Amino acid sequence: MKPVHILLLGIVLALLALPSFLTPGLVNAAIQMLIAALFASAYYLLCGQAGMLSFGHAAYFGMGAFATIHAMNAIGGTGLLPTPLMPLAGAIGGGAFGFFAGYFSTKRTGTYFAMITLAIAELVHALAPHLKALFGGEAGVSATRMPAWGFTFGSTNEVYYLTLAWVALCLTLLYLYTRTPLGRLTLGLRENTHRLRFLGYNTHGLAICVFVVSAMFSGVAGGLLVVSNEAANYVLFDAHLSASVVLNTYIGGVRVFLGPILGASLMTFFGYAVSDLTQSWLLYQGALFVLVMMYMPNGLAGLFGQIGQWRSRFGLAALIPFVLLALGAGLLVGGGGAFAIEMLQRFLSQDYQALASANAAGTWPPIRLFKHDWSPAAPGTWLVPATLLTAGAGLAVLARQWLRRLVQREESNRAAAEASVPGDAA
Amino acid sequence: MSDAILTLRGLKKSFGDIEIIRGVDLDLLGGERHALIGPNGAGKSTIFHLISGNIAPTAGEIMFAGKQIGGAQPQAINHLGISRSFQITNIFPRLTTFENLRLAVMRAHGLQYNFWRLVDNNRRVREQTERLLEMVRLQARADSIAGEMSYSEQRSLEIAMTLASDPRVILLDEPMAGMSRDETEYTSNLIREVTKGRALMIVEHDMDVVFSLSERVSVLVYGQVIATGTPEEIRRNASVKEAYLGEEVAA
Repeated sequence: MKPVHILLLGIVLALLALPSFLTPGLVNAAIQMLIAALFASAYYLLCGQAGMLSFGHAAYFGMGAFATIHAMNAIGGTGLLPTPLMPLAGAIGGGAFGFFAGYFSTKRTGTYFAMITLAIAELVHALAPHLKALFGGEAGVSATRMPAWGFTFGSTNEVYYLTLAWVALCLTLLYLYTRTPLGRLTLGLRENTHRLRFLGYNTHGLAICVFVVSAMFSGVAGGLLVVSNEAANYVLFDAHLSASVVLNTYIGGVRVFLGPILGASLMTFFGYAVSDLTQSWLLYQGALFVLVMMYMPNGLAGLFGQIGQWRSRFGLAALIPFVLLALGAGLLVGGGGAFAIEMLQRFLSQDYQALASANAAGTWPPIRLFKHDWSPAAPGTWLVPATLLTAGAGLAVLARQWLRRLVQREESNRAAAEASVPGDAA
Repeated sequence: MSDAILTLRGLKKSFGDIEIIRGVDLDLLGGERHALIGPNGAGKSTIFHLISGNIAPTAGEIMFAGKQIGGAQPQAINHLGISRSFQITNIFPRLTTFENLRLAVMRAHGLQYNFWRLVDNNRRVREQTERLLEMVRLQARADSIAGEMSYSEQRSLEIAMTLASDPRVILLDEPMAGMSRDETEYTSNLIREVTKGRALMIVEHDMDVVFSLSERVSVLVYGQVIATGTPEEIRRNASVKEAYLGEEVAA
């Protein structure tokens, strides 16, 4: 068994055991993570493997969601399909709309393709609230999960296991897809569409196929969300959802199959964990995205790959100080940045500004953060993030130096080895 | 040698006001090796683009096996049995050499829309891919990223990809550009070998290759064919000497 297989088996077992350790709130977060992971993986098929950057993938997610909710409400509320099979309606809804949108958008490539997908998504988003019969207007549509196959689907845990089964199945199918002839041609589409045509392939047909497959699995993700929430609203078509699947996919890494899955589940988890603590979650998400794009364009998965490569080059013992230094730098910079952002956010908030101007003494009242009161006028307050950021930068420089030393040592070792070879021969 | 498999009649191509191809008549006979030579800018690559469907002719016709193909889609022309290579290497740079070739091989097996079978399990595709790799001496590079190979290796890959669909007509656009003497000789023999029973049209600047490989030669100057004949006839042709070979000798 390869390490990857052991890791995957471990993850699956952990996911199976998860609900017994978690509160219902956290199980709900886990459901959201699974759905985001599937959505990102479906998106990755189009953007990472086929090289077609779609800026409007919420449309297919949303269509899947609405197809599912109508399937649940069909036949007087008994449902078109038994509850466990409901996401199939999402697949059909997402896939059918994907075929329609994909037919037009894949006639162009690159920027034009991206613009068409964006326009289609905006069109749907603008149109949806007006089509009350289909999308339920501002209020949306709700439905009820019906018991099926001996399960009531009344508890969060049952929904979790249903979601897990679907996500596991879909991710497996998406992985197997990459090993099929169409999956290999998807890569060819990214690499050189022009050449494919001269090898005799209908590239428009291929692009439509890839688009439909991606939209179909996005639709399953949307369907799973509806099965979990028992409601759907036109907000599902919001550009924010299209944007976050792009960000999640790139943060995870667009070069490896597991990258977007990792990125989406981590970012969803952070979103869940942090959104109660801060109002600036979107700012952190954006900052994280910029940092990842600047310093590790291959994303988190690329980072792990890089560390693995260094380990085999320099050995684990030599690499540990580097990893510790880099981790320390990351923590300090993250802490300093978070402190500065939170402080500024509170300082610049309307409430605080009103409070300060009402204060007759003309002084700045203290701000409560991390269980302490900080005076925004005191230099000591701003010294905290400054110190943290400086220390973090210092550690980053040290980490970089350590890495450079490792490379130098490797080179001198190689030079020594080369010098000793002629000596042996003589 | 048999009747013409590919016929160009009164072929013209203009880009805006500029006429690049000014009425070309040309016959490619079934099973012959036919070289297209001419000075830079004569329109040799443009003729290939017209035949292979990369661009549509302004006027005139291109007949392949009795069918008019001028202006058809590249994939449709490829399906009829015309396969081409490119002057500027045109491969899948970030895929392995094996993968590059497998994509080319798969087409003839009708696997374009197949998503229910694993491609690694397809023995016929794998064996054919391996055979082609061996043929162009790239079997040691099977797992290399194609874009990271040397230029001449990429040229060899390009030739193998062109052969993969088992075409009836092969168009090779400067296949030996950038190759060493030894590689040129090997490739020249390879081309002679693999084009048996097929028609070949080749654009090449290496005159030794042209005269040793081809059975007939056409000379293209300023978008017109000024002579067609056996290598001997072309060598002796006065206007060819003046327009093309003479310049080369003088230079």
